[in-house]
Amino acid sequence: MVTRMQPDLSVRIGKLDLAYPTLMGSGCYGSGAEFEPFVDLARIGGVVLKSVTRAPRLGNPTPRLVHTPAGMLNAIGLQNPGIAWYLAHDVAKFASRPCKVIGSVAGFSVDDYAVVCEQLAARDEIHAIELNISCPNVASEGETFACDPRLTARVVRAARATTGKTLIVKLSPNVTDIAAIAREAEAAGADALAVVNTVRGMAIDVDAWHPRLGNVTGGLSGPAIRPIAVLAVYEVARAVKIPIVGQGGIETVTDALEFFLAGASAISIGTANFTDPRVPETIVDGLSEYLARRKLASIRDIVGRANLGFANAYQFEGDEG
Amino acid sequence: MPTLSTGERVHVTKIVDRRTPAADVVVLGVRAPQLARFAKPGQFVMVVPPAGEVASVALGIYEAQGDRMSVLFFVSGKRTTELARLQEGDELTITGPLGNGFFLDDAPSEVGIVAGGVGVASVLTSAQELLKNGCRVQLYYGARTQERLVDMDLFARAGCEVHAATDDGSFGYRGVVTDLLARAARPPRLLLACGPSPMLRAVARVAAEIDIPAQLSLEETFACGVGGCWGCVVPIVRTSAQAPSFPPAVLGGSDVVNARVCKEGPVFWAHELRW
Ligand SMILES: Cc1cc2nc3c(=O)[nH]c(=O)nc-3n(C[C@H](O)[C@H](O)[C@H](O)COP(=O)(O)OP(=O)(O)OC[C@H]3O[C@@H](n4cnc5c(N)ncnc54)[C@H](O)[C@@H]3O)c2cc1C
Ligand SMILES: Cc1cc2nc3c(=O)[nH]c(=O)nc-3n(C[C@H](O)[C@H](O)[C@H](O)COP(=O)(O)O)c2cc1C
Ligand code: FES
Repeated sequence: MVTRMQPDLSVRIGKLDLAYPTLMGSGCYGSGAEFEPFVDLARIGGVVLKSVTRAPRLGNPTPRLVHTPAGMLNAIGLQNPGIAWYLAHDVAKFASRPCKVIGSVAGFSVDDYAVVCEQLAARDEIHAIELNISCPNVASEGETFACDPRLTARVVRAARATTGKTLIVKLSPNVTDIAAIAREAEAAGADALAVVNTVRGMAIDVDAWHPRLGNVTGGLSGPAIRPIAVLAVYEVARAVKIPIVGQGGIETVTDALEFFLAGASAISIGTANFTDPRVPETIVDGLSEYLARRKLASIRDIVGRANLGFANAYQFEGDEG
Repeated sequence: MPTLSTGERVHVTKIVDRRTPAADVVVLGVRAPQLARFAKPGQFVMVVPPAGEVASVALGIYEAQGDRMSVLFFVSGKRTTELARLQEGDELTITGPLGNGFFLDDAPSEVGIVAGGVGVASVLTSAQELLKNGCRVQLYYGARTQERLVDMDLFARAGCEVHAATDDGSFGYRGVVTDLLARAARPPRLLLACGPSPMLRAVARVAAEIDIPAQLSLEETFACGVGGCWGCVVPIVRTSAQAPSFPPAVLGGSDVVNARVCKEGPVFWAHELRW
């Protein structure tokens, strides 16, 4: 038998140790249980849960989804039962997941984020928190946090004060200078950045003379946004030292590699799960093969290697919080 | 991990037969013993588009017998165009069976099935099961033209009484199928319906008028098809057994909650919908 060294796919995001560098994107994977019949959850790094808010939300009217070329628009509108009900009825079920579970927090004020973050992070079932400050699908405030450096700083600082758990801040691509926002989030205490959320967009029904989404506008995801997302990761990686979770249209191992090489330490898969739930496992296998073929010991060896002037040279490994 | 009790998983299948019962209508039969064995009437599958379009296509389970199951679809957009190119021997990846299916356990002895257009794909197995249990089954089948009334003989041979309606009167009653239903000499005691939403709303109205329960299989745009994205919802009363976990009286006392068509549905009781 030929014994071949298995490349190491594990990564560390803040204090969060992931066996695989693949997260399932918030809002795309339910609580993980929905996909359990179709994938081995022990072979995905972790699930980022659907965003939860302080008060319950019925979400947007339908249609909430429109298929578009190489992607889709969604405007779900953060449907969720609110943090109190969530803590009482849903969170306990997450304990049995054979992967890491990352809570996602959304809100409409700095206080909302702090309150929900504190309550959610206090639960043992939740291993880390992602702050969704970049949801484009809720009337007004939702996304403005990620579009304003000062608001980003305030909301991250407030959430940071409530928990010692790993805090991932999810940035919006719908900004002029994402690097500036990233720096603010880092300075305010973020442990990692998720780059990027969906790109704003809309589609119109030319027969009905009406927008196709119930919410009028939505967020574009899937391969259509991949080059936008790769560039965002590239720019953010040059601006900050904290790790990046790259996302936006990742469907294949090649797509995933682009993100690692641009400077992401981990990736997140959303829309591709809707095409084929086997995608996360296929990507994990592909990463292993790629590294083995190049005789590289670890996925960490390729992070940022295509990024000229990379700021993020694994300084966060070791003692950095 | 695959749940053995429901057969729910990703199936890599081979196409064993292909036919086109009408222009732009394709039936693909695949060898999928697990799917055929576990599929319940009214459930659906998610089919991976072979040429790489984003998002799987939701298709009703048309036939399920022995080792074979089939899907029937109208070639209407990009993904169904991709699927229509497939031939016998090609591979097809299918996730399922998914959704709840029709509630047939306590069905009365006379059942009406209303199918509109492509909705016919989701009702054949229900008809077969009801007939097997000794029910009298009337099929009310509506389409735009005679051309589009596909596989009527399959239903007739199975033992259904077939009542057809076409928009242009090229076959059967001229008009909408729900008018035909409303005139039924001997109305069924339960309705099962699948078709476009205007038809389903009309079925709900007729059912309320003649005071019989109706189960509607809804169609929404899907992304995941497995309950993960909350993109496919429909408002239902919170007291429904199908209502997802949600706190009472949210948003100003409204006791309505959005249920996922792909997970809590696709079949809902007409009187519980608030759409
Ligand atoms: C539970 C469930 C079961 C289903 N079962 C079946 C079934 O058994 N058989 C079946 O045929 N279908 C079924 N459907 C519908 C099916 O999933 C597909 O939506 C449908 O077949 C079209 O897929 P497509 O990708 O080819 O079309 P798409 O490209 O998604 O287009 C869908 C429709 O919208 C139109 N359209 C697309 N883009 C535009 C635009 N920009 N402007 C205007 N119009 C546009 C297209 O012409 C087409 O009519 C089911 C759906 C659900 C939810
Ligand atoms: C249907 C849908 C729902 C989403 N819901 C959320 C959400 O609740 N919170 C969030 O932070 N991101 C949400 N997102 C964004 C994704 O997590 C992801 O960042 C984005 O879609 C880009 O990745 P992708 O192209 O791989 O899907 C959603 C995306 C989709 C398609
Ligand atoms: S399509 Fe994703 S929840 Fe129904």
